[in-house]
Amino acid sequence: MTAAFTLNAVSHHFDGAAALREVSLSAAPGERVALLGPSGAGKSTLLALLDGRLRGWHGEAGVLGVPLSATHALPRELRTGAGFIFQEFALVDRLTVYQNVMNGRLARMRTWPSLWGRFGEQDHLKVAAALEDTGLSGLARRRADQLSGGQRQRVAIARCLAQEPRLVLADEPVSNLDPAHAERILGLITGAADKRGIGVVFSSHQPELARRFAGRVVGLRAGAVQFDKPSGQVTSDDIDALYHGAAPGAGLRVVS
Amino acid sequence: MGRGLVWIVLALAILWSAASAEMGLDKLPGAAPRLGEFLGRMMPPDLSVWREVLQGLAETLRIAILGTFFAVLLSAGLAVLAAETLVPAAVWRPVRGLLAMIRSIPLILVAMLMVGAVGLGPLPGILAITFHATGMLAKFYAEAIDNVAAAPVAALESAGASRTQQLRWAIWPQMAPVILRDTVFRFELNLRESLILGVVGAGGIGLYVQTYVRSFQYDKAATVTMAIVVLVLASEAVNSALHKRFS
Ligand SMILES: Nc1ncnc2c1ncn2[C@@H]1O[C@H](COP(=O)(O)OP(=O)(O)OP(=O)(O)O)[C@@H](O)[C@H]1O
Ligand SMILES: [Mg+2]
Repeated sequence: MTAAFTLNAVSHHFDGAAALREVSLSAAPGERVALLGPSGAGKSTLLALLDGRLRGWHGEAGVLGVPLSATHALPRELRTGAGFIFQEFALVDRLTVYQNVMNGRLARMRTWPSLWGRFGEQDHLKVAAALEDTGLSGLARRRADQLSGGQRQRVAIARCLAQEPRLVLADEPVSNLDPAHAERILGLITGAADKRGIGVVFSSHQPELARRFAGRVVGLRAGAVQFDKPSGQVTSDDIDALYHGAAPGAGLRVVS
Repeated sequence: MGRGLVWIVLALAILWSAASAEMGLDKLPGAAPRLGEFLGRMMPPDLSVWREVLQGLAETLRIAILGTFFAVLLSAGLAVLAAETLVPAAVWRPVRGLLAMIRSIPLILVAMLMVGAVGLGPLPGILAITFHATGMLAKFYAEAIDNVAAAPVAALESAGASRTQQLRWAIWPQMAPVILRDTVFRFELNLRESLILGVVGAGGIGLYVQTYVRSFQYDKAATVTMAIVVLVLASEAVNSALHKRFS
């Protein structure tokens, strides 16, 4: 089976500042990987790369058996492979929960009917299933801007599931939630992924949750992989070193 | 020192304006009674011209509606070229400059030029409104485009939605209410501004103001004036009601 993703010596710079340095990583299909690391470590950059949205990087990268290009976006039909759960949810506020989830399926429809809101039976079924899985069935007709943060997060997850991805990418999916909610959401994401037999890569600032919900934890610091271990073997020293240890080019920067 | 200078300049400007015989300021003392006499001649308004007044109002309304319609079409195209988020600065900067220039030309001046170009009647009025309104509307539309939140659009793109699908299901839902509000607002302005177009021969109720005043039929001019006031008040009421709904 092809790997969920493989990165070979991938580097990326934003205006000359390194965001990723020679990152080599890979994950087996169905594997759950957590990305840990201080702010600015490169977690979001890495996830955007895996989603095929980053341009101008160097190295070799492939996701779900498809090589990524540093200069060109993936063709439309291949973009459904990786489903992305955005940190700020990225919902269309004025649309209903139902339509927001339906938006995850647009790539699978013929363009013309989809523009008039005529969606196929299969699409309605998948949306209903995604709403069911995320406990949103009762809120389907509610507008997205009339939801709580936790509910919005679940809409974002439902949209991702409706896309029928073969790999779920989530950028700090629980950073805006209270601890109990955070656990439930991570349980929801990983549970839904397990049910579909697909892998999850998520970033987090909560080492405990990362260890609990991922099989493997990757520590990023200043754009480089500092450790890469099965969750059970991550020690508190690893965590301490990740957040407090000295690293080249890291540390607080002067805000001008 | 700076403040003293401002006062001196102000005083000089007023003296300079008044110190010319052509301003006719010597007639000022006699103006008040004459104004009174004039107003007296407007009373009572001659309501027998209601047919002409209604016709004039209908024509003004038509000019405003068609002018707005064409301005919307033009603005939709120009807005894309004026949107910072869609085209390079080398395109949107000159386009915005052009729109600012269009806005800066007073409508009545545009109307006079249009009358010169296509002759008397409602057509130059429609063209003038179209031209003038596009300067504002295209800018508003461009701002509506620029204010669209990027994240939901990126989310749909990441999910594989086509460009038109992104437009329909992420961009349009964010823009539609703004566009609607701006268009209604501009229509109200168009209606008000087109009331005077007839004075320069560009159609609508203004023609009757012109005709009646020139021929000293002040009682009829009074009727027209009243009709205009009613129309403006009515459009203001409609607009404020709509504003409440869209805010
Ligand atoms: N669009 C951008 N333009 C310029 N620099 C960027 C951009 N995005 C990220 N960076 C920089 O790249 C580095 C990595 O950023 P990234 O967002 O990947 O970090 P992160 O690990 O996700 O941090 P956080 O935990 O705060 O979300 C940072 O130094 C950041 O300032
Ligand atoms: Mg981040």
